Amino acid sequence: MSADVLMVDGLTVYRDTYAAVQDVSFALAEGTDLAIVGPNGAGKSTLIQAILGILPRRTGAVSVMGQSLSGRGYLPAPVRHQIAYLPQNFLFDRRIPITVNELVALGWDDLGPKLPWADHRPRRLAVRQALDRVDALHLGPQPIARLSGGEMKRALLAYCLVRPRRLLILDEAPAGLDVRSESEFYRLLYQLKQEQGWAILQISHDLDMVRKHCDRVLCLNRSIRCQGTPDDALSPDNLAAVYGSDFVPYRHRH
Amino acid sequence: MGQTLFPIAIGIKLPFTPMLSLTNTLELFQLPFMQRALMGGILTGLMGGLMGSFTVLRQLSFFSDALGHSALLGISLGLLLGLSPGSLLLPFAVLFALGVAYLLERTRLWTDALLNIVYSSSLAIGVILLTFVGQYRGGINSILFGDILAVRPSNLVMASVLLLGCVLFVGLTLRSQILLTLHEPLAIARGISASAHRTAFIVLLALVVGTSIQAIGVLLISAFVVIPACAARLLSRTFTSYVILSALLGALGAVLGMVLSAVLNLPSGPAIVTMQLAIFLLAIVMPRSKLSAV
Repeated sequence: MSADVLMVDGLTVYRDTYAAVQDVSFALAEGTDLAIVGPNGAGKSTLIQAILGILPRRTGAVSVMGQSLSGRGYLPAPVRHQIAYLPQNFLFDRRIPITVNELVALGWDDLGPKLPWADHRPRRLAVRQALDRVDALHLGPQPIARLSGGEMKRALLAYCLVRPRRLLILDEAPAGLDVRSESEFYRLLYQLKQEQGWAILQISHDLDMVRKHCDRVLCLNRSIRCQGTPDDALSPDNLAAVYGSDFVPYRHRH
Repeated sequence: MGQTLFPIAIGIKLPFTPMLSLTNTLELFQLPFMQRALMGGILTGLMGGLMGSFTVLRQLSFFSDALGHSALLGISLGLLLGLSPGSLLLPFAVLFALGVAYLLERTRLWTDALLNIVYSSSLAIGVILLTFVGQYRGGINSILFGDILAVRPSNLVMASVLLLGCVLFVGLTLRSQILLTLHEPLAIARGISASAHRTAFIVLLALVVGTSIQAIGVLLISAFVVIPACAARLLSRTFTSYVILSALLGALGAVLGMVLSAVLNLPSGPAIVTMQLAIFLLAIVMPRSKLSAV
């Protein structure tokens, strides 16, 4: 049995005065994929941000690769480097002058105090290899403001794989892509997962994708409503409990 | 001319005719006070451009303006307490900057509206306090417009140390600063302490503004932070080149402005800002398709 990359135990997170996430516990094993599903406002992004230390937690514990996340969101740097995070809709000021090469290089750096030109050669090589891996080598010199949605996702995947990781956390990563680009994104993501051995924790609204790709599902609506394999967790009864009794899932017909 | 800390810049009549030949201009820059002024301008331009590159992208331009205006309050307080204006200016600027940053985070009001309240009220209180300082020789003009010609060796040492601090801070944490500027949650997820970096940046910016005010004045200081960065943005494709170019354009504007000031006998601060504007306008009209994404 594989070791747990991520363990969450009794996590409660407050947004202002209300509990956005309450008493959530689960574990994510190495090389597996866990999807978090639930309606808007269910606390999915809040849960992920608390796991990453972006938001403070009220109670509970988070452990990544055996290291506890401190109350102030601290994790030892070697553990942090093993985590890649893609936020929901990568919104940024498009006037910021930054190329794809620079963005991907940020994923390679350990971000400690360092001279700007230190490790120039290995960084450049790693960036080239990562971009090549996602068929985006030609995008390297482009400003990221000029990228299409699909190209941006490729650049962000390169940012994730530019150095070895063990845990990938995706918050509705394909949001904003058309059907074809989304399908291409998932094809690439799962091909890379196979190669890199990533454990993936992802938020998704695409229940068909979850059924097709994910090992386990966690249904969240402030607290956990169900979890298990996709076949068990996404039963009509469970979906009604999470989304409401009048919920009728739409099935893609590819 | 006098070497008081804040002599009146506007109205200074230099001991030469308004239009100087190249030879006369070169001779002028052999005078020690002009060399100090030139060095002061270069240091201020480099600091302003360097810190301005991040200030502009983080949409803190108005913050630097508010800091500049608040300095009048710091100077007035210093004079009222019988201290040298410069002695209270830097600690006041730092405390003021941290206070405003705290207010912005706590109140969640619109940034520009809150900064407008802060800078206009601090300016008003500062002017009122100045009326109680009857024997102040420099007058309000020198505070508003500064006097780069009165820069002393100690000012240059201070500016050099501060520039070194800025270069080390930006240079050693460049990747973290880029990620924080681009996407703060992504940076925090990588273990970067956004609040620590934000505080360090604001303190450095306050020190840069406070140090530069003696030479440039309250009204024009934000131009040193904003204009070179905007010009550099128009000409840059990569983040690193943008930061370096912003600092260099700040220094270039200062050198050209000092020359313009000497040749046409113009007040130095406004002459430098005018040259920075000229560089910015040039950057606008330059063909950018291969240079920039803007």
